[in-house]
Amino acid sequence: MKPELFFKFASISFQKQVTYRFDCFVGIVNGFLYVFIFTSLWKALYSQFDTTVHNGFTLTAITTYAVLVMAVRISFTMDDSIIYRKVMDGSIAMELIRPTSFFFMNLAENVGHSLFHIMARTFPVVIISLLLFDISIPLEPVRLLVFIFSFFAGYILISMLNFAAGLLAFWFVEIFPFMLFKYALFTFFSGGLVPIDFFPEFLKPLVNFLPFQYMLYFPTVILTGRVPMAEVPSIIISQLMWILIMGVICSLMWNAGKKKLVIQGG
Amino acid sequence: METIRIYLTLFATSIKARMEYKASFLFYIFAIMTFYIGQIGLLFVLLNRFHQIKGWTMGEMVFLYSLHAFAYGFTNLIFSQLINFDKMVVDGEFDRVLVRPLSPLGQVIFSKFEVSTAAHLIIGFTALYFGTHLAGIEWTLRKILLFPVIVGGGVLIAGGIRLAVTAVAFWTLRNRSLVHTVIFSSKEFINYPVNIYNMGMQFFLTFIFPIAFINFYPAHFFLDRSGEGLLHPALEMGTPIVGIIVFTVSVFTWKVGVNHYQSTGS
Repeated sequence: MKPELFFKFASISFQKQVTYRFDCFVGIVNGFLYVFIFTSLWKALYSQFDTTVHNGFTLTAITTYAVLVMAVRISFTMDDSIIYRKVMDGSIAMELIRPTSFFFMNLAENVGHSLFHIMARTFPVVIISLLLFDISIPLEPVRLLVFIFSFFAGYILISMLNFAAGLLAFWFVEIFPFMLFKYALFTFFSGGLVPIDFFPEFLKPLVNFLPFQYMLYFPTVILTGRVPMAEVPSIIISQLMWILIMGVICSLMWNAGKKKLVIQGG
Repeated sequence: METIRIYLTLFATSIKARMEYKASFLFYIFAIMTFYIGQIGLLFVLLNRFHQIKGWTMGEMVFLYSLHAFAYGFTNLIFSQLINFDKMVVDGEFDRVLVRPLSPLGQVIFSKFEVSTAAHLIIGFTALYFGTHLAGIEWTLRKILLFPVIVGGGVLIAGGIRLAVTAVAFWTLRNRSLVHTVIFSSKEFINYPVNIYNMGMQFFLTFIFPIAFINFYPAHFFLDRSGEGLLHPALEMGTPIVGIIVFTVSVFTWKVGVNHYQSTGS
């Protein structure tokens, strides 16, 4: 897909979001609500002990994590029902005859959607949190650069997960249960609420077996400074490996799905 | 009598419609349960590490969760159609409701049956069982009789809030994000004991957006706990009264909204 075309799709999707300004304001409140709940929770938990460091996090470090993981999560906002709606109303047929890659067009739409949420929601939530909570972000240029790289890798992974989940609409009439199931696993295993460091030992093999921690947890801990720089390359290699695996799954599903697709009248 | 019969027919039709896809129905229940097990799992992860949250042990937290699950499950059963109410207004479907010789609110409520209640009840009973064992709750006759009353009060609070926020659609038409924040995200507050929040938030959750009455205050009575935070002993039994107040105000708001309603013309 040509870059110009990619940006065109992204910008259309961005503009669609702009029309819902009220939703955006509510979205800021919604994002901040989670930050507030989790910073309160960690404060309450830490206040019970004399020790100041738990599982490698000081109270400041865990507060920073709670804010930044939410910021990354909001930045990853995308509409995971696009494919389902296209199958339901039959417009997927149009996508099939287009000379552009369906995956990249979908990615472009996601990018436009997310860019809007980064500007309209991520920044306000981070700024409000900086004013209200005790947060410390190490501002090392190299760290920021690798964070941006890891952030993009995480973003592509989530896009692929949503793409694969959306393709299930080719086989099933109702895919909401799959989406909810995906959301449940993602919420628990991505470290979006509680960082992986606090998980008990017996859950670690399962966490490591699943791709979710590479979507939120690792990009966030690279930014907060929880991971030493020496460990960063191996994290990024794992992320790239997961992109490869998910990429294979997506293309297998797409090719099988194209043959299977049944459009109900439209 | 005739009115009740019509409502029951509406109700039965909605169940039939929902049962059309049986496999999807079972998987939906499974997906919802996975989501809640994940939430309880996170509580377990935290308490496994920190033992308690502001004096609340695992058993007590699980009991808190069960009250919440019951109230929420019944609220979903009765008030589920309200979540998509803005769509009814935007699509003009509400016009059809208004020309029928039945209460508009009654029609909206009975037009959809929400199957997810089954999942909430399974979670509710399981949590109640484990909560009772872990926290060693002694079930006196008084507690057993008051349990349904408290759950009923919780349903009136949660349902009333839903009704009020839904009525906003009469003025703004689209209010999806507001509905989702107020109904779903705000639930997160009472996954944890309310005394972890600062005084301002405790006041808000007690007197302005009184969801603390759904589980936090009444749990003190069932667990034989003495007061903490903003708790005055009188608030323990406040749930039914608060429920009636919230619901009355909401029905009033809804009626004002119906009178204000102007069709979108679609």
